[in-house]
Amino acid sequence: MTAVASGTAIGTVVPETAATRPRLAWLRERGMGASVLVAALAAAFGVFLVEVTAYIGAVLQADPFIGDSETLAIVVIILSVLLTGVAMYVAAVVTANTFSTIITGRTRRIALMRLIGASARSQRAEVTGQGFVVGVIGAAIGLVVGLALSGLGMLIGQSLMPSVPESVTLAQPGIALPVIGVALTTWLAAYIGSRRVLTVTPLQALGGSVERTRDEVADRRGKHVGALVLLLIGAALLAAGVVIGLITPLGVIVAFFGGVFSFTGIVTGAALFMPPVLRLVGRLFGKGATARLAAENALRYPERSSRMAIGVVMGVALVTMFAVALESSKALMMRQTDDVPSDFFAPMDAFANIMMVLVAVSAVIAAVGLVNLLTIGVVQRRRELGLLRAIGLTGAQVRRMVLLEAVHITVAATLTGLVLGVVYGWIAAQSLLGAVPVLPSFEPAGFVYPAVPWMPVAAIVVATALLTVIAAVTPTRLATRVAPVEALAAD
Amino acid sequence: MEITTSDLGLAARVQHLTKSYGAGAAGVRALDDISVGIRRGQFTAIMGPSGSGKSTLMHIMAGLDAPTEGRAWIGDTEITGLNDLELTILRRRRVGFIFQAFNLVPTLDALGNILLPFELDGRRPSVIEKARIDGLVERLGLASRLNHRPHELSGGQQQRVAIARALATAPDLVFADEPTGNLDSRSGREVLQLLASASREHGQSIAMVTHDAIAASHADRVLFLGDGRITADHPQQSAEQIAAYMLAAEVAA
Repeated sequence: MTAVASGTAIGTVVPETAATRPRLAWLRERGMGASVLVAALAAAFGVFLVEVTAYIGAVLQADPFIGDSETLAIVVIILSVLLTGVAMYVAAVVTANTFSTIITGRTRRIALMRLIGASARSQRAEVTGQGFVVGVIGAAIGLVVGLALSGLGMLIGQSLMPSVPESVTLAQPGIALPVIGVALTTWLAAYIGSRRVLTVTPLQALGGSVERTRDEVADRRGKHVGALVLLLIGAALLAAGVVIGLITPLGVIVAFFGGVFSFTGIVTGAALFMPPVLRLVGRLFGKGATARLAAENALRYPERSSRMAIGVVMGVALVTMFAVALESSKALMMRQTDDVPSDFFAPMDAFANIMMVLVAVSAVIAAVGLVNLLTIGVVQRRRELGLLRAIGLTGAQVRRMVLLEAVHITVAATLTGLVLGVVYGWIAAQSLLGAVPVLPSFEPAGFVYPAVPWMPVAAIVVATALLTVIAAVTPTRLATRVAPVEALAAD
Repeated sequence: MEITTSDLGLAARVQHLTKSYGAGAAGVRALDDISVGIRRGQFTAIMGPSGSGKSTLMHIMAGLDAPTEGRAWIGDTEITGLNDLELTILRRRRVGFIFQAFNLVPTLDALGNILLPFELDGRRPSVIEKARIDGLVERLGLASRLNHRPHELSGGQQQRVAIARALATAPDLVFADEPTGNLDSRSGREVLQLLASASREHGQSIAMVTHDAIAASHADRVLFLGDGRITADHPQQSAEQIAAYMLAAEVAA
């Protein structure tokens, strides 16, 4: 082979071991930086929420009118815990996915290490250890950023409200929870994501085999049983919540647990539920060569794409849920009284807006994961892209293909998230307000009409469209840089 | 008026072609003032040891790489100086490729891979092209495999799908880069016979880069490269003759 071809080949074949490279060189590997960013975002968000919760608690206590009421403070604490939990969950899903993808790219090297005599467990331990380092670095950065943001927020708060007590400080012991939590969940996520290491055989170092196009999902059907059970329990509780809600507003508590169970079921069973949606969206793209290639690429690793999409689904569903629940409640209250003062809904709107912004942080974490996975996907497909370029795919077609791949995932995720959000939002409103008496006869409301507010939905669509374009920038740039000659480079 | 490539009975040619990597003392001259043509309707083997420049020559002739100096034509089109888009469309319509491995897009089935050059062009095969593809599928024994994906096909079957794709557009020239490098000897022989018959019976011009004397013995003409220059140009030879020449060249070096 020529000098160029062998030059590119050597980099991938020579194994790097602990002895031959700087200790933390792996941190520069594609995907690691993004994993640090994801951990940092989750930790910073958690720290910020702990500080805000403490601050609000102090402000409430100092308030002469609400002072003694602890209910509000407890509600704020519960919301903070839930929001941090969601952000950490999304971050963990993204990290597990990233590690699993990084390992696909490392297969050759791991196989070579296995060939030389390393055990599968030691190889996995190496990856898991890297996950721990990523988690610790991310959590540390998150701690600093979170504290800085909180400090800034406190200064602004003090300038707006003179009644703030002097006792409020940034030194809250509670901030240790999200920081340690993020470090540990990142570690755990790396462990889960590195399962693939165990399936690498020494023979794969010798190459020549054709790439498998599908994950072997079939032999892991059992894994989805748990997801289905959760979904069924959740659905039953949701139905119970709606029925109980016709008698008493306490139905919403039953429905809440139904939501937690069923949503966890949907998220953990993403690889089961998302591929049909992805396939459907893929058909919408039409029959052109680039459209078909893009659609097939999104389904090439159904698990990877599903998990990539589910982070966005979670964000969109939660935002939509708050919006729909609120709008439906508002619609019902409009029925209840004839003339509602225009500023009556202002506090509710403000609450919903704050919740939406906070939930959107999880969506941002999901977005980082999406960018990351699309990028790694392109890097790992260099050879195939080279082949396509050689047989006649133009640079513009490459760009369109990669952009369509991103569109494919985000459209599928946004649609799923909107549908789920509307359903959950309606159930929330129905189970809470089904028993509320309404005009004219003051009988229980019965059926609460689901109302979909168009502003938030439009905002979600615009935001995901923006996310798609941003997510596609780096992968597109990398993909168009692939030279056709790379298809000819021998191993 | 310049003499055109087709006036010379050639499918592709290069003139005073030089390709250098790096500069100064560290520089490597992969091709050193090469002028050569690939005859129309012939099966030409390009041979040489590793580093002889045979792959670089092929990359430039196929419009995959640009020379440092010199000119190259495919048919009557001068390809040196074309931009990336023009080159891509030229490759799509007028050049066929068969690589050693990773020839096929793993997410498309065999038929999808064969039709890819047409679909990238945004069109369906014409009636004549359709008849040609049907004939190819028949001849290559792929009829029962059209809906299989690459990982469901043997190495030999994958190479035959690649051949069908390369021949489907009836390109000016098919480039094959070590097409038998990953195959067992029986599948390899089949692939070579298919290439030879495509050129003899259907007049397809084929240029094959290889370092395998047995593979080259299937060709009508064997070009030898060494240190970036053409060192010999022989009509069809037996594997023994080719191996003897290569051994002698190796010993002399």
